[in-house]
Amino acid sequence: MAQPSLLPDELVQELMAVGQVDILVGLPTLNNAATIAPVVRAVHRAFARHFPRDRTVLINSDGGSEDGTRAIVRDLSMDEADTLLMRHSLRTVHRISAPYHGVPGKGSALRQIFAAADLLQARAVAVLDPDVTSVTPEWIQALVSPVRNQGYDFVAPIYARHPLDGPLVSQLVRPLVRAAYGLQFAEPQAAEFGCAGRFAADCLEQAVWETPLAQYGIDLWLTGHAVAREYRCCQAPLGPRTVAPGSQRPGLAETFGQVVGSLFTLLEAQDASWLSRTGSEPLPALGLAPPPPGDAPPIDGERLLQSFGANLRDLRSILDAILAPDTETALEEASQVRTERVRFPDELWVATVYQFLAAHHEGVMRREHITQALLPLYLARTGSFVLQHAGTDAAAVEADLEALCLQFERAKPYLVQRWTRTTPR
Amino acid sequence: MAQMIANAVSQAGANFVDAIRLFLPRVVTTISIVLAGWVIAAVLRLVVRWVLGWLRFNAACERAGLAPLLKTADLPPADVLVSKAVFWLVWIGFLLSGVDVLGFTVLEGLVASFVLFVPRLIVALGIFVVGLLAANFLWRATLLTAVNAHAPSPRLLAGGVRWLILILAGAMALDHIAVARTIVLTAFAIAFGAVMLGLAIAFGIGGGHVARRFLERQFPGERAEPKGEDVSHL
Amino acid sequence: MVPQPPSGGADWYKDAIFYQLHVKTFCDSDGDGVGDFRGLTGKLDYIRDLGVSCLWLLPMYPSPFRDDGYDIADYCSIHPGYGSMDDFRAFLDAAHARGMRVITELVVNHTSDQHQWFKEARSSRDHPRRDWYVWSDSDDRYPDVRIIFTDTERSNWAWDPVTKQYYWHRFFSHQPDLNYDNPAVREEIWAVMKFWLDVGVDGFRVDAVPYLIEREGTSCENLPETHDVLKFLRRRLDEHYTNKVLLAEANQWPEDVRHYFGDNDEFHMAFHFPLMPRMFMALRLEDRKPLVEIVERTPPIPDACQWGIFLRNHDELTLEMVTEVERDYMYEEYARDPVARINVGIRRRLAPLLEGDRRRLELMNGLLMSLPGSPFMYYGDEIGMGDNIYLGDRNGVRTPMQWNGGWNGGFSSADPERLAQPVISNALYGYQAVNVESQRRADHSLLNWTRRLIQARKSSPVFSRGSIGFLKPVNHRVLAYLRTLDREQVLVVCNLASTAQAVQLDLAEQAGALPIEMFGKSVFPRIGTSPYVLTLGPYEFFWFKLRRL
Repeated sequence: MAQPSLLPDELVQELMAVGQVDILVGLPTLNNAATIAPVVRAVHRAFARHFPRDRTVLINSDGGSEDGTRAIVRDLSMDEADTLLMRHSLRTVHRISAPYHGVPGKGSALRQIFAAADLLQARAVAVLDPDVTSVTPEWIQALVSPVRNQGYDFVAPIYARHPLDGPLVSQLVRPLVRAAYGLQFAEPQAAEFGCAGRFAADCLEQAVWETPLAQYGIDLWLTGHAVAREYRCCQAPLGPRTVAPGSQRPGLAETFGQVVGSLFTLLEAQDASWLSRTGSEPLPALGLAPPPPGDAPPIDGERLLQSFGANLRDLRSILDAILAPDTETALEEASQVRTERVRFPDELWVATVYQFLAAHHEGVMRREHITQALLPLYLARTGSFVLQHAGTDAAAVEADLEALCLQFERAKPYLVQRWTRTTPR
Repeated sequence: MAQMIANAVSQAGANFVDAIRLFLPRVVTTISIVLAGWVIAAVLRLVVRWVLGWLRFNAACERAGLAPLLKTADLPPADVLVSKAVFWLVWIGFLLSGVDVLGFTVLEGLVASFVLFVPRLIVALGIFVVGLLAANFLWRATLLTAVNAHAPSPRLLAGGVRWLILILAGAMALDHIAVARTIVLTAFAIAFGAVMLGLAIAFGIGGGHVARRFLERQFPGERAEPKGEDVSHL
Repeated sequence: MVPQPPSGGADWYKDAIFYQLHVKTFCDSDGDGVGDFRGLTGKLDYIRDLGVSCLWLLPMYPSPFRDDGYDIADYCSIHPGYGSMDDFRAFLDAAHARGMRVITELVVNHTSDQHQWFKEARSSRDHPRRDWYVWSDSDDRYPDVRIIFTDTERSNWAWDPVTKQYYWHRFFSHQPDLNYDNPAVREEIWAVMKFWLDVGVDGFRVDAVPYLIEREGTSCENLPETHDVLKFLRRRLDEHYTNKVLLAEANQWPEDVRHYFGDNDEFHMAFHFPLMPRMFMALRLEDRKPLVEIVERTPPIPDACQWGIFLRNHDELTLEMVTEVERDYMYEEYARDPVARINVGIRRRLAPLLEGDRRRLELMNGLLMSLPGSPFMYYGDEIGMGDNIYLGDRNGVRTPMQWNGGWNGGFSSADPERLAQPVISNALYGYQAVNVESQRRADHSLLNWTRRLIQARKSSPVFSRGSIGFLKPVNHRVLAYLRTLDREQVLVVCNLASTAQAVQLDLAEQAGALPIEMFGKSVFPRIGTSPYVLTLGPYEFFWFKLRRL
């Protein structure tokens, strides 16, 4: 049987009629009927307000929603203010909604959006998360303008948030990506990004779409690919990012497994491009001035630390295979104090992460089990960090996070040495 | 009379000499088969060790969780174990065929049954090894899931799963080589039942909320997430 | 003797093709460097052959010429440079004899400061004509009124040092506004109209109509009192004459212009100003949106009334009726050279605006001839004449007509230095390259093509009287509309893009009809219920007569 094409005939018909565009905004959706309308409105406002002269199109790539998401995207009417604004835009506004085929997940949606961008020769592409309620037209402007006006190829967002918010990013993803790739992305795995048409076209040619990375780690992969291929990257401050409260997001264990698993797999796949890099460089932040960080999130540090010791005991035989003996001993020593006094220092955390990453690389056990075994340690580290910074002002937390990043960079030679010692099977 | 005796004796002697003359080459053959078998088995042992080493068999066993098991049983590393097993199987094979050459009728059946028994033994061993692998994998999966789900006594739970599968695999293996079938079946039933009961009690008394959480996750309704859980880590 | 106008119903203007020209720069018969009526009369055959049915003459009255004749010093005579009243009568007769009508300029809002009326009015505060103009002791009355000629004027009030008062002017300071609150002024203007109608003209293009009356606290545009004045003039016209036309110049949004039609008791026609820049915009954007939007936004008008549509005229390409974003876009795309910009618009002719691209010239003329309204052509555009943006004010688009490749382009036998306006002589648009004579000889010249286009337009009344309905294929580069009148239907499909385009038209309602291309009469495949697929080359357009055969 012939492989189903990326762009179904119906979609091609619509794209043909749209013709070449300057700006393409993609909305990958799956059952987002509750939150999609304001996002679509924001996109059209952005077109009218910030890009009135450009040829634009909004493409919704849907994974088979059963709640009428596509119908909402297609038929959404603009309220009166918008109608006035739409008149402001010089050109016909196009809005397309199409189902994608293939493995369900964001990867397939993105692939279709990129294919459309390639076909339409889009100069700039922006992709938004339909679940986010704080999208404003300025987001689209911030993601598109660096590409359209300054020739950047990849634009990662910077969210306005408290440094304690999103600990998985600040404790693990951000410093690890920074140490590995040598570029200081604030959000290396963001659902929103902007990119150039040529970047989209290049991504389309890669093999990633058929791999599990496409399903959960495509955001990370894009960042990694942009760096690995030396595309011009920059960041765009967007403002606070709030996700609709009702949206169905997976639990922590699942999220952690997906994010860390993807990150480790990505590093495995792209090791040729990062092993030799040292240090890191800041990325230019373009657009709006970074807004002040929000409130500290209600993370209960003690609760995260509660079962640290017990977890270590339970997982001993697994950790034995992953961690170096001295690291394991240090962890045990750290856990043998009263919960509120547990300290999980930067050095220990970095060593732990690098040893897990090396174990993942060596394949000492099934790889999901390795990432699963990291979760309790991550919780302990986060708990300790949160307790340590309770009541500290944002700037001080920021400084300590920077110190953590630097520790990741300093310890990188150890990782490289472990990495090159064993070639994976 | 004496002549008769002498005749008989000489006949017997002649017979004995004849027998010895007939038998001696067989013994020599047997000894040479046994010796050659030992040499071949020893070479095979070396080859197997080398091949397994080349295949990184030990690392694979480590990943499958076999290595710690061997360590606790005070057994040599996996590649040594396998090569030894190959050596003994091959050498016993030669030994038996050597004995067979001797032509003892009593031993003939043994040889035949050994030839029949070897493949079944191998299959049984295979079953057991697969069981062992599965037991270890599921043990680790259960342990990690239980820890990350904050289930009570994850080690007990994971150990239960591991022994359940080990017992099942052991029983299947024994059943396959048809050793004491009734006893094995009865013992299996008792052991399996005990583990299940233990798990049921453990889950029922200690892990009720785990079960509830599991059910809630399967059928989301107006569930209330425990406070703090809804904080996004991303 | 009152000459007999050509035949045709009272609403002849609905089917008319108008041709706008300036006597001064059309043809000079006496070699003084200024065009005249005798010269124009000699060229009437050319204009008739083009297919034109009505001439619109720019002001031909005595004037100090500080606003190219729109500053009139005497309403009831002919500027001596253009000839005598007899010359004008002879021209009028000749035009009528060729089946063409003539409308002239009626500049009602203001006079020249050299007009006898103003001279008398400013002579003393007590003069009986004082009240014919608008006077004030201070220059802060009517503060909400915009200034039109932003490049030259800073206030709408000008100081009169003799009587020590300010007088009101919406345009140049040498053009004082008449005071229409004074009934005597209305009567006098009616007298002027009557004078020319008796001479035989077929109507007036009335200049600057929204500004006749001033009222405190308003923008002084489109006031109800202004409409009262216009209704008065129309009433008088209808009482005394038939088959005449009043055409309004009101540079306003269509919903505001709509009021100038009244219940067919003000103007017969009005220019559709906002449509014009949007045609250019749609072409450059390669997107039909601006055009469709403005046509759909245009309110219906009384049956007897008609819009006047145009691509270019004697003024700048006005950008008053566009949004700021649109204006910026137009400036950047059509007038990158700041010299090309004047007031709120672009002083260029059609051909240079379209970079001399024949395909785009054809497409734009095709739109002009097929959109609802009576088309107004500007002299010289039928041959693709160029401009000279360095001539000051809007004179760059008012250079002499290029008749042939000879002396002064055949316009005049005077010394080139003596010409009222220099002839265009560059290599691209100069009279050696672009002229009537050479284009007349070439069958595929723009001139002959335009002639065929006009013929095609005149072959069906749907263009002048039919309704319009847009088809909206997903491909926004394709503009498609149906013009319908009773059972007759014409389908127009235009590719606004510089690249070839495919389009699927939903013509289910026309299923069964046979499209016949109107220029070559080729028959196209019959329309079915499934989408009708057409492919169009760059800037290509089709006119299909839909026949039920």
